[in-house]
Amino acid sequence: MSNGTMTDDLHAPVTTTLTGPLPRRSLAIVAGLIGLGAGAVVPTYLASDFVLRLGSEGLLLGLLALSVAFLMNQAGLVALGAASVYGGAGYLFAIGMSDWGLTPTAALGVAFLILLGYVAMLGALIVRTNPLAFMMLTLAAGEMISHAVLLEGLRDYTGGADGLVVRINGTVLGIDAIHFADPAKFWSLAWTVAVLVGLALWGVGRSRLGAVLRAIRENEERMRFSGFNTFLPRLTGYVLVNLVAAIAGFLHVLNAGFVSPESLGLSVSTNTLVAALIGGISGSLGPIFGGLLFSFAQDEFGARGLTQLLTGVAIVVFIVVFPQGVVGGLSGLSRRLGWRREGS
Amino acid sequence: MIALLIANSLALASLLIMLSSGLALIYGLRDVINFGHGAIYMLGAYLGYTIATVGGFWLALLLVPIMLALLGIAFEYLALRPLQRRSHIEVALVTLGLGIIVGQIIIYLYGGEARSVDAPKILSGSVTILHLSYPVYRLFLIVMGLGSCALLALWLRATPSGLYVRAVSQDPSVARMMGINADRLSLLVTSLSTAFAGIAGVLAGPYLSVDPGMDVVMIVNCLIIVVIGGTGSIGGAIVAALLFGFVQVAGSVFLPNLAALVPYILLMVVLLIAPGGIGRGRVLS
Amino acid sequence: MLAIEKLSVSYGSVRALSDVDLEVRGDGLLHGIIGPNGAGKSTLLDAICGRRRPTSGRVRYCGEDITQRSISWRRRQGMARSFQRTSVFQNLTVLDQLKLVAQHLGDDQLDDVIEVMDLGGYLEQKAGRIAYGVQRRVDVALALIGRPRLLLMDEPGAGLSATETLRLFGHVRDLVRERGIAAVVVEHDVDAVFACCGMVTVLDLGRHLATGTPEAIRADHRVIAAYLGTAA
Repeated sequence: MSNGTMTDDLHAPVTTTLTGPLPRRSLAIVAGLIGLGAGAVVPTYLASDFVLRLGSEGLLLGLLALSVAFLMNQAGLVALGAASVYGGAGYLFAIGMSDWGLTPTAALGVAFLILLGYVAMLGALIVRTNPLAFMMLTLAAGEMISHAVLLEGLRDYTGGADGLVVRINGTVLGIDAIHFADPAKFWSLAWTVAVLVGLALWGVGRSRLGAVLRAIRENEERMRFSGFNTFLPRLTGYVLVNLVAAIAGFLHVLNAGFVSPESLGLSVSTNTLVAALIGGISGSLGPIFGGLLFSFAQDEFGARGLTQLLTGVAIVVFIVVFPQGVVGGLSGLSRRLGWRREGS
Repeated sequence: MIALLIANSLALASLLIMLSSGLALIYGLRDVINFGHGAIYMLGAYLGYTIATVGGFWLALLLVPIMLALLGIAFEYLALRPLQRRSHIEVALVTLGLGIIVGQIIIYLYGGEARSVDAPKILSGSVTILHLSYPVYRLFLIVMGLGSCALLALWLRATPSGLYVRAVSQDPSVARMMGINADRLSLLVTSLSTAFAGIAGVLAGPYLSVDPGMDVVMIVNCLIIVVIGGTGSIGGAIVAALLFGFVQVAGSVFLPNLAALVPYILLMVVLLIAPGGIGRGRVLS
Repeated sequence: MLAIEKLSVSYGSVRALSDVDLEVRGDGLLHGIIGPNGAGKSTLLDAICGRRRPTSGRVRYCGEDITQRSISWRRRQGMARSFQRTSVFQNLTVLDQLKLVAQHLGDDQLDDVIEVMDLGGYLEQKAGRIAYGVQRRVDVALALIGRPRLLLMDEPGAGLSATETLRLFGHVRDLVRERGIAAVVVEHDVDAVFACCGMVTVLDLGRHLATGTPEAIRADHRVIAAYLGTAA
C-alpha cells in the first residue's frame, strides 16, 4: 500500500524478486539476457535448415498464440479470427508492392495502417458485446475476409484460390530481402521479435491497462459504476493483439515469399488456439513454447492428414482435462479468465 | 421476378430457420453456443447421402433425425452435463473442438470431393404457378421450413414444456425459483436441435451440395443469424433467418460480385444500429 | 441535488414505473424508498443511475438534465451506487480493487473509506473469499470512493441479519451526515428505514404514493392502507 502501485494477483511474487538483493537481481537479468541472446544464435549452429524452418514456423504460430492468449488472459475474450489479420498482412504487403508500386518498406507501412484501421473499426463493433458473442463475431469476421479474398472481382489483386507469389526487391526496413529466406537468419529474426513482443505484452499485462482489463473481465458493470470507460480499454487490447498478429503475418510473408487463402483460413485460427492452450495462456513463455511444440507435432502427424483432427481433440482435451496448459501451471483457466458462472 | 426472389429466399431461410432456432434454443436454456452445430448438420447431410443411395430419400429423411436425436442425447449427457459448472466460453470451445473432430472424421471417411443427392421423383421437376415455373423441391423446402416454424411456435406457445423453455430463456433465475427442471428440458431441447440439424442436412442434399466445407459455411451463417436475431431470442432468430435468406438471395441477383460478402455487411449494419440484435432475447452485455 | 420528473419505465408491455416525481435534497439525511414487492423501487434506482433508460420523463442532477448520460459519466460526477446482489471483484484483493477505483477517481483518502467500512482486517484477502457481510461492506466501500455527492443504495440489508443491517445503516447515516451529502436507500426492512432515514418515500404499483418524514409516513392513512396495513 505504501509504494502506491496497483497490485494484481500476479504482481506479488514479482515484486518480491524485484525488491530482493540488488546483485542477485542484476545477475538474473544478465542471465536472462544471455539466455535470450543465445536463443537467437545457438540453434543456427546446431540445427539443420529443416529444423530451423519448422522452428521459425513455430515461433510465428507462437506469436499468434501470444496475441490470442493475451486477450484471453487479460480480457477474457477468445478471438477466433487471428488468421484474418495474419494472412491479411501478407496480402496487403504483396498488393502494395505489385499493384500500388510501393517500395517494400512503404508497402509494409501502408499494410500496417490499413490493418490498424480495419481492426479498430471491427473492434469498435464487437468488443461491446459479451464474450460469447465476441467469439462468434470474430469467427464470422475471419470468414468474411476469407470470402473477400476469393471474390471474382478481386482476382487480379489476390490471385483467387491460387494465392500470390511475393517478389521482394531491395530492402525491407533496412534488411536485404534475401536474408528473410535464409533459415538461420530468419530464425534469429523471428526469435528476437518473439522475445521483444513477449516482453512487451508481459509489460502491458503488468501495466494499468492490464489491471483495468482484468477488472473489466471480472465485473464489467461494476467497472462502469466505478466511473471507468469499459469500451476503450477493451478496444485498445483488441487492437494491440491484432498488431502482434500482423507482425507475425509480415514475418511469414517475408520468409515464405508467398501468400495463399489457406493463411487466412479458420484452421490457422484454431491451430493458434491450440498452441495457446498447450502452452497455457497466463504468461508470455507458454504460448511461444506452445507454438513451437505445435509446429514440430504437426510435422510428426500432419503428413498423415491428421492435423485438423488432432487440433479438435487437443481443444477438447486441454479445456476439459488440462485447463491450465502444459507450461502455465500457475492456476486454473477458469479462475484466470474470470469465466465463472454466476451464482455457482 | 419479385415472387421468384421471395420464393428462393424462403427456401434458403427454411434451412437456416431449422438450424439457427436450434442454436438459439440451446443458448436460451443453457447459455451455451454450440459451435459444433455446423458439423452436426454436415453429419446429417452425409448420413442422408449414404442412406438415400441405399434406401432412398424418404428413408433418409426419417432415419437421420432419429439418429441425430440420439447423438444429441449423447451430447447432452457426455458433454453439456459434465461441463455444467464450467464457464460458457469453455463449453463453447469444447463444442468447437467436438465439431472439428466430427467434421474431420466425415472427411476422413468420405474423402474431399463434393457429393450430390437426387431429389425423389415426386419432388423433382418444376410446377407452373401463375405463369411462373418453379422447382418442386424448393416448394417442398419452403413447406418444411414454414411447417417447422409453425410446430415450434405451437410447442412454445401451447405446451407446458414450451412455456418452461420460454420462461427459462427469459430469466433463468426466476425459472429456477419456479422449480423448473432445466436438465430435463435441456435434454429435450438438445436432442430436438440436433434432430432438426439432421433434417436440415438431409434437405440440403438435393438443394445445396454435400461437401467438406459445408459445416463451416453453415455454422458461420447460423452464428450471424443468432447474433442478428438477438442471442437467445427464438423469434428473433426466425426473423433474422428470413432476413438473411432474402439478403443472400437478393445479393446474388443484384450484386453477384459481392454476394459472398452481403451477409457480413448485414451483420455489421445490425451491430452498428442495434448491438443487442433485433429480437428481445436476453441482453448481450 | 436530485430531481425526478414524471419518470416512467416500461419492460416490454409492463409498466414498472409511471409518472414518478421525487426530489432528494443534499442535506445530510438518508432518503429511504419503501414499498411492497413489485412497487418499482429497484427500477427507480436503475433509472436514476443510468442502468435503465426511462421510457419518458427526466432525471435532473445538480440542476442538469442527465437522462441521456452514461453510467460512468454519472459516477465521475459523484453519483455512486451499491448493489442488492453484491457486485465486487471476486478475484482481486479488497485493497487492490479499492485502490484501482481510487486511482481512477483521484481519491487520495482511501484510508477514510477503509476505516468507515471497517475493512482494515480484510485488505489482503480476495473479495470472493471473505464472508458475505464483509463483501457487502466492500460493495458499499466501492461506492464511497471519490467522495460521491449522491449515494444510491439498493437493499443494503439484503442477506444480512437485522443487527448487521442496522449497523450498516448506522455507518451510512453517520457518513452522510458528516459529509453533508445525499443518499437514497431502497430497503425492504421498514424498521431500519424508519430508524435511520430523515425522509421516506413510499411507492406502490409503480406509482408515487407519499413522501414525508418517518412520523408523517407512519401516520399516512393511504400508506397504511396500501402497505403497512397488510403487514400488520
